[in-house]
Amino acid sequence: MIQDTVTEELLLRKPRFVFIIFALACIGFIIIDPSQSAVGHFLAPVIGDPAESGFHGRFVTSFTLALLFVLNLIAISLLPAFRYQVIVVWIELAVLFLAFFYSFDLSFTFIRSKIGFMITQGIFTTLYVSAISIAIAFVIAIIGAVAKLSSNGFAFAIASFYTSFFRGLPLLMQVYLIYLGFPQLGFVIDAVPAGIIALSLCYGAYMTEIFRAGIMSIDEGQWEGSRALGFKFGLTMRKIILPQSIPLIIPPTGNQFIAMLKDSSLVSVIGVWELMFLARTLGNKTFNHMEMLITAAMLYWMMTMVLELIQSRIERKYRKKQKR
Amino acid sequence: MKLTKSLLSAALIALLSIGMAQAGEVLDSIMAKKTIMVATDANWPPQSFINDKNVMDGFDVDVAREIARRLGVEIEFITPSWDIITAGNWNGRWDMHVGSMTPTKVRAKKLAFPAVYYYTPAAVAVHKSSKISSVTALSGKKVGTGTGTTFELYLQGDLAIDAAGAPKFDYQISNPEIKSYETSTIALDDLRLGDGVRLDGVVSSLPVFLEAIENGYPIKVVGDPIFYEPLAVTIDLGDAELNDKLKEIISWMRKDGTLTKISKKWYGVDYATTD
Repeated sequence: MIQDTVTEELLLRKPRFVFIIFALACIGFIIIDPSQSAVGHFLAPVIGDPAESGFHGRFVTSFTLALLFVLNLIAISLLPAFRYQVIVVWIELAVLFLAFFYSFDLSFTFIRSKIGFMITQGIFTTLYVSAISIAIAFVIAIIGAVAKLSSNGFAFAIASFYTSFFRGLPLLMQVYLIYLGFPQLGFVIDAVPAGIIALSLCYGAYMTEIFRAGIMSIDEGQWEGSRALGFKFGLTMRKIILPQSIPLIIPPTGNQFIAMLKDSSLVSVIGVWELMFLARTLGNKTFNHMEMLITAAMLYWMMTMVLELIQSRIERKYRKKQKR
Repeated sequence: MKLTKSLLSAALIALLSIGMAQAGEVLDSIMAKKTIMVATDANWPPQSFINDKNVMDGFDVDVAREIARRLGVEIEFITPSWDIITAGNWNGRWDMHVGSMTPTKVRAKKLAFPAVYYYTPAAVAVHKSSKISSVTALSGKKVGTGTGTTFELYLQGDLAIDAAGAPKFDYQISNPEIKSYETSTIALDDLRLGDGVRLDGVVSSLPVFLEAIENGYPIKVVGDPIFYEPLAVTIDLGDAELNDKLKEIISWMRKDGTLTKISKKWYGVDYATTD
């Protein structure tokens, strides 16, 4: 949203609003019943044994939690800068999240013994499968977009058939179809190449549309000028149109890569030892599935966080370029 | 444009040529490569799983290694999902499957079963707090199992075992509400939530239950084994030579007590026979 100078009184300064929030929080906590939790034990001097405190205990703990919650909200609203507010809320949510996982009673020694392998084997495979696929998808998308924009009915038909088919099927089904279907034609491909082909074709179809939009956003005058100078179709594309549309195309492509990183987990069904496969299998012998799933979830999250950081850098860079 | 197009097709051709099927007999190609490619499941402890050192281990894996040793070749493992293995038409992607597969009449249309190497008792487990005390009491209840398994076929009343020497059995659970999971360990995760929360019982192999109980799952095994599953080495159709060779190796392993030894190592009991 755009920052303006119109100021309104903060909602949290209105007693009625604060009271409503407090009442809602109170009701919410009463429904969950926190009397048996650590808070209940902490309040034992007031409510007695939490297990036998009944509705009294339930009400007192809920009241206390709701009070803390509202005080916390007001405290955050008093922080001077937007940035500090964001940081504090992030930290609080992260702590809540960790406490939530901690309550699962996970075996951290098991996680520690497996995390190295999950990174060297799992993340490595996930990253290289995604990187190769996005590179191939990029090439497919350029060809597809040009074909879709061309006046050649033949090229348009093939390209639109392709995007329609591969955007219309679930990616998981494409993985199965390519892995099981190609051998029927006499090409026996291994799991990793099959996964790469499926990911490239599927994302190539989506990116074709992105590229098409990028190319179409270039002003018609550019095209006409280039043609007037006697440039042929290929040269116009290569020297005039694509260089101008690439800055528009790169940022959404980064987003596609982040999405692909997560979708690459689907190739685990054909036995590629990437992160998702390891998450499902490593904990099986000792029945530590939850540990492995949460570890893999955290690893995926960290990877996407790093990539999103890079993504925002890229976007900023291209935005600057456009302003010039 | 031309350049990118030719680059793309070159890349595709390179991708496709990786792992092109070797023509000819599977046994010949194993001997020529000096390596046998074995498919097995990574999600089926204690038969086959990834161990502390992050390599494949388990009963099936040990049997496969012994077969490779007696063939005089190296071994490599590959871990596609179960439905891809049972679909058949392997096209030389892997040469043999040692993963506790029961030879059924339906599967025999797609795959060949050279030899049965052991028998596991299939059993029923319920939550510790459950009042169910016999197998028949699960009739009409919510019963979980692995999808595409013989246990699922048993629950559907559609299990036809295609192997000599397999003991006869009766269907003891009538009209169960079948809940199929990707593996039976996930069914056990639902069972442990409590009696009747998501499941009233699970049908799977007895060793899986014993392993789960050892790992602190609040479940118990009910009644006697409901049937004995013969479990066979599996190959693709159409290579009689490999079929005979594996038959010979398995009977050799049974005679000299190797199968019994591996079974005792992993299960503590001898599952190489039904006696």
